[in-house]
Amino acid sequence: MNREKDIANYTAVFFIFISTLLLLFPSARIAQTARIFFSYSLYPSLHYGAKYDYFIRNVPDNFLNILKTDQENRALTGRIKELEVSIKAAEAADEENRRLTSEMGLSRSIALKGVWARVINKNPQDWYGAFFINKGAKDGIALNSTVVGFENGRVGLAGRVFEIYQDFSKVLLITNSVSSLICSLPGASFEGLAEGRGTWLLRMNYIPEGSDITEGAEFVTSPGGLLFPQGLPVGRVQKVHPKESFMNFITADVAPVITINALKEVYVVKRDFPTDLAVIQETLKK
Amino acid sequence: MRLMGDILIYLLTGVIYWWWTTNLSIFGVAPNIIFVAALAAAIIARPAKALVYGFFFGIYLDMLGSNLFGAYALTYTLMAYGIYIMKRHLDLVSPFSQVIAAFTLTMISMLCYQGLSLALAKINPLQLKAFLVEPFLNALLAPIVFYFFAQLKRRFDLL
Repeated sequence: MNREKDIANYTAVFFIFISTLLLLFPSARIAQTARIFFSYSLYPSLHYGAKYDYFIRNVPDNFLNILKTDQENRALTGRIKELEVSIKAAEAADEENRRLTSEMGLSRSIALKGVWARVINKNPQDWYGAFFINKGAKDGIALNSTVVGFENGRVGLAGRVFEIYQDFSKVLLITNSVSSLICSLPGASFEGLAEGRGTWLLRMNYIPEGSDITEGAEFVTSPGGLLFPQGLPVGRVQKVHPKESFMNFITADVAPVITINALKEVYVVKRDFPTDLAVIQETLKK
Repeated sequence: MRLMGDILIYLLTGVIYWWWTTNLSIFGVAPNIIFVAALAAAIIARPAKALVYGFFFGIYLDMLGSNLFGAYALTYTLMAYGIYIMKRHLDLVSPFSQVIAAFTLTMISMLCYQGLSLALAKINPLQLKAFLVEPFLNALLAPIVFYFFAQLKRRFDLL
């Protein structure tokens, strides 16, 4: 017991002495050494404690942030899907706008008065025969009005109006097997009759034997045909057939300059028909 | 092994004190866990070790402070020695006596530190609100820390 008491007393004296030294000589070497030595005891709290406390303290906030981020992520994912649909619709509208702008520019350049119409129906049973457009008598569409289409910056003859209703009309395509029109090659002295065959090709008949016609030559509407304005591109020669022994003319396969059954919009040309044709039209109306 | 345990207790007490004062201070006032730990160690541990604990806990507070280096060390060493003397005559094992001892010794140690600061550095570090509130907080905390330290001594033979 006395030994323990002595130890306690000596210890107390020792530490009181040390403390007093530190107090009285704060700038002494021993005080500086003690500061440096005891500064290591601060590391667990001031270094590691502060380091991990930062992470632990932010755990609830971070967890909430993750939840919020997840909610936002779900909402934004849905929004992205909506926007993707909108983008697709906008792209389609933009493409349509671009095409229409181009075609309207072309329509101005061909110097023909008319109205734009949208192709609203195509009958698969009569794919190369006819289609409906969304303009009719109310829009001033007349019987036999010329219908042209545009493709890749080119204009081409598509057909003519042959049935008119109040709000829509039916267009007889040049590829229809009952369709025929007089065509000519620019600069050439001959004409031919382009007849529809119910396929994507036309048959050019009655080309005089010995005519200078080659594959790729482009036929246009002839001034001799009263139904169509002259000079409208009709088609290019795909193949020239040799003369049959019993005939004195040659024939050729002609591909329309535009893909007629892929048209989405057409331009219906309003024009004043020659008087005799107008009389026929009036008669038909009565 | 015991030494490692003692060092661990010392460092852990420092970490808890730092964390509490950093995050749980109310109007700049928090219980002085270091003081309470020094008090509990002084009650539980053998006299020499209690003095060592008192000195090192005091040094820890001195390192955190910016005033007199060694003042807390001296104060807590003296407190540990005083408790060593008091233990012979007073029962400090019951919670109530710990509350009273913590309350009284907190005020005494604060005044002692204030006296040393005035005498040696002519500064007045004692804040009134701390002087009025901290003794109560320390008194409330003392039985808890004592219980915790007593468990460490019983189960791991530390302190």
